[in-house]
Order: sequence, then structure tokens, then C-alpha cells
Amino acid sequence: MRAGRLPRAAAGLLVALCLAASDLAAAALAPDLVARGREIYLHGRLGDGSPLQGVRAAGQAPVSGSDAACVNCHRHSGLGMTEGRSRVPPITGRYLDPPHSLSSDKPDLPYIETMRGVRMPYTDETAARAIREGIDANGRTLTPLMPRYGLGDADTAALLAYLKSLDRPVEPGVGDTVLHFATIVTPEADPVRREAVLATVRQFVKDKNEKAFLIGPTAAMHPSGRNVESKMLQRIPRRWEMHEWVLSGPPESWPAQLDADFAREPVLAVVSGVGGPHWEPVHRFCETRAVPCLFPNVDAPLERPDDFYSLYFSGGVLLEADLIAARLAERPGDRPPVVHQVFRAGSAGAAGAERLARALRPRGLRISDTAIPADATGEAVRRAVAGGAPGEVLVLWLAGADVAALGEAPAGATEIYASGRLGGFENTPLPASWRAHTLMAYPVDLPDRRAVRMRYPEDWLRSRGIPITDLPAQADTWLALSLLNETLKELIDAFIPEYVVERLQDGLDHRFITGYYPRLSLAEHQRFASKGGFFVRFAEPTGAKVVADGSWMVPDGP
Amino acid sequence: MKGSTAQFRLRRHPRQHALLLALLLPALAPGHGQAAAAAAAATTATTAAMEEHAGMSPEMAPAMPGPRRTTMQVSLGEVPLVREDGVKVKLADLLHGPRPVYVDFIFTTCTGVCPMLSANFAALQRRLDAAHAQADLISISTDPEQDTPARLRAYRQKYGGGERWHFYTGTAQADAAALRAFGVYTGDKMLHAPVTVFRADPAAPWIRLDGFASADDLYRELSPAKTAGR
Repeated sequence: MRAGRLPRAAAGLLVALCLAASDLAAAALAPDLVARGREIYLHGRLGDGSPLQGVRAAGQAPVSGSDAACVNCHRHSGLGMTEGRSRVPPITGRYLDPPHSLSSDKPDLPYIETMRGVRMPYTDETAARAIREGIDANGRTLTPLMPRYGLGDADTAALLAYLKSLDRPVEPGVGDTVLHFATIVTPEADPVRREAVLATVRQFVKDKNEKAFLIGPTAAMHPSGRNVESKMLQRIPRRWEMHEWVLSGPPESWPAQLDADFAREPVLAVVSGVGGPHWEPVHRFCETRAVPCLFPNVDAPLERPDDFYSLYFSGGVLLEADLIAARLAERPGDRPPVVHQVFRAGSAGAAGAERLARALRPRGLRISDTAIPADATGEAVRRAVAGGAPGEVLVLWLAGADVAALGEAPAGATEIYASGRLGGFENTPLPASWRAHTLMAYPVDLPDRRAVRMRYPEDWLRSRGIPITDLPAQADTWLALSLLNETLKELIDAFIPEYVVERLQDGLDHRFITGYYPRLSLAEHQRFASKGGFFVRFAEPTGAKVVADGSWMVPDGP
Repeated sequence: MKGSTAQFRLRRHPRQHALLLALLLPALAPGHGQAAAAAAAATTATTAAMEEHAGMSPEMAPAMPGPRRTTMQVSLGEVPLVREDGVKVKLADLLHGPRPVYVDFIFTTCTGVCPMLSANFAALQRRLDAAHAQADLISISTDPEQDTPARLRAYRQKYGGGERWHFYTGTAQADAAALRAFGVYTGDKMLHAPVTVFRADPAAPWIRLDGFASADDLYRELSPAKTAGR
């Protein structure tokens, strides 16, 4: 398992030579063996389908199956974590058996704070012994928190193959002096939002590169300064290069375009960006190509709690549907005869309407949907909301322009819900006659309560002369880039995609600059950082003054 | 504190895995009441059998340092919490019953520390049921916005929560107040240390156990004098 001594060379050549010389090479690992190891590592499932079994200290309960899986503590990246006072070390191939350069006995590895100090490198035999018997490479007992696993020879070999496969030969988007990122724009993006988001992204990156010491350098280890033990780090600020991947054509064609973009310009992460109702092809690209996709501006994100690479600030219209469903459940009085939803066909609003319908039908509520054709005029919107029986609930899943075209509220409409996300929150141009009877779903903090947190992005946008034409999207964009920047600063030089996701989510709870959202929090199986909302009413016939109707609530989900 | 660095070999016969599986599966099924009582004895035997088959006898398995035990002050307020079945309850009301009570702090998407805490509570529950001893187990979420009642229900079912083991959440403010009452609030769910809190009855002091308290450690709190020579 040990690599031979090699002449010092450029990092890429060094890695290539290491790979060629050692049986750590991923290319030499049989894909079937790695796949079998992945099943054990991620799901606690052995080669014969039976559950992985682990035993901890006498008195502690044994673990089995997915509870026994290595990923629970060592994480997707294999680089471990810190939870409370428990420090879990990295266990990918190169951390178990570090490659050495000729001129130094010290391992040449990205710095992970839970990595163990100098010790004997593991061989396949001693690694197997560690997993089965809890004895480390130096012959010492491992912490009792690490289970002792019942693994046969074939399963052990598979697991070790998987651990070796976790080290990419070259980390995508990472250069000596530059980090590459991308931001994705789909053809469905609202043009105003697209320009606002791109202007924000471009200025943030420009600031970062020009004023590195104001925003903060992304620390890097100069190869000659790498000295893990003394932790004296020489820092060279790496500049960011932001690629704009602008997609075109129908959604079916996007995966191929994204693959081509990524092949041409491998990136460490995709950040922010703008999309429309069809975001799934992008979400799937991120998942299958293992690229972190951090907080795109989409009103209808995908709810896939078991996916890993895509993070969203909010469930958007999905969350609003859940809020409205919860509100309707608490509503006193008789059940409404019908719930009438109005939206543009194929829009994000349609996704919200579909989710609300699915939540309400099992309760025996009658749902009536009007899907306005995408190219229809404002007159079609007015027709869609006209009429309606007394007692009927009306739900408006409409963007600002359509809300402005609503005209007079129908006489019988006394119970109306509207999407704040789609309409523009307190800037939703709801005509005066509608305001008294409309409750707007508001999955962000109230204006006066978010004022202090919002000062950061708002002042920054103004001082940079960026027109504020879509403040929610621009604030979210600024926030996404800031979170990425903060996370990267903590990584020192461990620019590994999965580790970026894990560290970002672990560090999110204690951040107080959270923009529009009162709180942000993420973890495994949580991909939406903000989970609740208010309902608000407009306080006046015109203007943007809103008052909360009730307190912040987190819906129980479908 | 026992420790052992004895080397032991792991027997690796495929049939052993099947046997382990057969022994272990019943222990994993959620148990309630009578079923739990029956399962309790089976599980203790299963654990021993499993360790034996893994080539380790319980005496030889590495020892976990026992929990650090201190007394603490807890001032319970009228903090409004929500139980996993949606019932609203005030924290002070929850804790003025006569029975002994254990409290731990988890979040449902936690993958490191919490599964161990909850597995220990599950084992404690089995022991209590087997001994016909009455105590209340309370698990309070440290991630209240994610841990809705529905998610707590699923987590509780996974660990076999019985009639006297309930899970609580609330608004972010209420949850923070509850965690502060027990001195475990950090504002960051990842910054949690394993802590279990115990009180024998409303007149008794609150005991804080820092570290991974095993089911034995927890059960022993019921009557320290009686169970000392166990």
C-alpha cells in the first residue's frame, strides 16, 4: 500500500507518478469492488445483502445496517467531522497511507483539523485490523466510539477499495492560485432577475479578487510551507474565477450542455445562479457529477432530502403550499366548498398549486385549478379569478405582473391566499380592493425584524452602484457567495467538493448574517436551510407596509 | 474503569453473519409494553451472543469511560413545547409528576452522537419494562424547526419509543428556553456534547451525566444504593 519515494515535481506530475507507482490508483481498483465498498460505507449493506454489524464498548448498544454505516461519522467526503467534543478523523486512502515526497518526511496532504498526527501508515492488513478489532496502525486501541465491525475478507477488501477511491487524482476547479466556480442561468430565468443576479455575482467576485484583504483571502498552503504539525501556514490568496454557464434550448438538452461546460471548465462548486420551473435537470447534474450546487435562485426547488450536493435557502413555493395547507387546517368554521387555485401553466406557481392540491385532497377538500396559458394576456388573469361562490377559498400563485393585472376583487371573494415568493413579498402589487381579504404567504422574516441583517447586503449593493431591481434574489445571491467565501476560508487548503458542502452545512447554525431569513440551518437529509414563514396582510390600500397575522410557523410537511 | 488491550481474532464465517442477523432482527423491532419486556431479555442475550460471535466477550470489549456525574439546578418555566403526537404541553407541567425522569437532547438528522444516545434510551426503556420499573424518558430536540412532530414520530418509532418515552419540539424560542433550563443550550446543534439529565422525584436533586451513559449507567440512577452491588 505504500508508495515508493519519488522525485519532487509539479503537484500534478507528482500525483500522477504516485498513482502510477502505488496500488492506491483508482484506475487499478475494480469498479465492482468499489461499488460493493460504497454499499457498505454509505448504507451499511454487506456484499451478500445482510446488514453491517458493529459493536461498541460493553454497555453501549450494538449497531446494524444504516446506523452502522461509516458515512454517519466519517461523512460523504470520508474526511470526518467534529460533533460536540467528538472528533472523527479522515479515512480516505491518502489519509490512511499518506503519499510522501522525497524531500520531506511529512505527509503532503490538505489540512483536515481532525487528522491524526504522525503515525505509521496503514497497510491493507492493519486497516482491516482497525475496522474489525479497533487497533490502530501504531498498535493502540481506537476510541470506543468507533465500532468494531464484523466484516469478512471480501467485504473488507471492498471497503478499503472504496476508501481509496474517495481520493480524486485532481480536485476539480482547484489551481495553485485560482479557484474555479460556475453560476448557472437557465433560459426560463426572469430577465430582470437574471441581470440582477449576474451583476451581483460579478461584483462580488471582482471585490474578492481586487480587495482580497478586505473580504478576506482564501487561504492556501504554499507547497514549500506545508507543515501540518507546527500549523504555521503560509497563505497565498487564491483568486476566484467565475464561469457563467448560460443554458439554452429545452430542458432535455441541458444535461448535455452542463456536461460539456463542466468538461471544459471543471469547477469546485456551482453557486447561486437563476432558474425557473424546470430546475430538475440542473439538480440532477449536480448530484450525478458530484458538484456542489449552492443556493440557486429558484422558486420551485427540488425536495430530495436524501440527495447531497444541492443546497437551497428555502422550499419556495413548496414551503408556501405547506404553510397554506397548515393554515387551512387550523382555520375555524365550516370547510370551504372549494379551493380555487390560479396560476400560469408550467410556471413555478403551478408547482406550488400541485403541492397544495396534494396536501388538501386527502382532507376531502374540493380543488379547482385554473391554469392560465403562458402566453395569455392580463385579461385572462382577470377572467380566471372572476366569479366564485361565497365561502370559496382563492389561492393566487401569480408573479408580480399578473398580480398587478388582477383588476377589481370579485364580490364574493373573502378568503384569499397569495404567494409572497412569486408576487414580490411586501412589494407585491396587489390592487387595493384585494388587500382586506388577502393573506400572503411570507416565507422570510418581516421587514423590520430583518432590517439589521439586511443592512450588509443592501449597503454593499448600493456602495458598488449595483441597481437594486430584485432585492430578494440579490440578497440571496450575496448571501450564497458570502457563505461560500467564509467556508472556504476555514478549509485552509482542503478544497474538496464534498467537504465544502459538509463544512458549509456544519457551520451554518451560528451565522447571524442570514439576509431575508431569520435562521438558516442544514444537516444530512436537510436541504432547505430556512423552514418556516409568516402570513401577512397589507396594512394600507397601497404601499408596501405589511403586518403579520400570527407568528412564524414551521409546517409539518405533506 | 476497566480497559483492555487484549488482541482478539474475529471469526469470519458467512454462516455466522446469518446467525447474527437472525439473532439481531427481533431485537431491532420496535417493542411496546409486554412485547418490549419479552424483547428486553432476548436483546440482552442477543447483545452478548453477538459480541461472543464477534470474537469478543463483554469483558474484553473496550470500555467506554463512564459518564461524569454532577448535580445541577434546573429552573423550569412555562415553556410551551409540542409532543410528537401534536399535544401541547408546558415544560414545568411535564416534569412535576412523581415518577423518575430522564431527559436527553437529540435532533432527528443527527448521525454521530444522537443515535448512540437514543439507542441507550431504547435499551434503558427495555430494562425498565423488564423490571416493571416506572420512569419517564424525555427527548428534547435541538433542531426544532427541522424536527416537526411528524419527524419526531418517525424517529421515535425507529427507536421503539414506548408509552413513557416522548419527544418534544417547539418554536425556536421555546426550544432554546427549554435547553437553557437544562444548561445545554449552545445555539448550534452540532456543538452538542452527550448529556443526559436525571431526577428521581420532584424533591430530589437534578443529576447531570456528561458523556455516553450506557443503559446500565442510567438505570443505576434509579436507586444508587440498591443497584450498587449489581
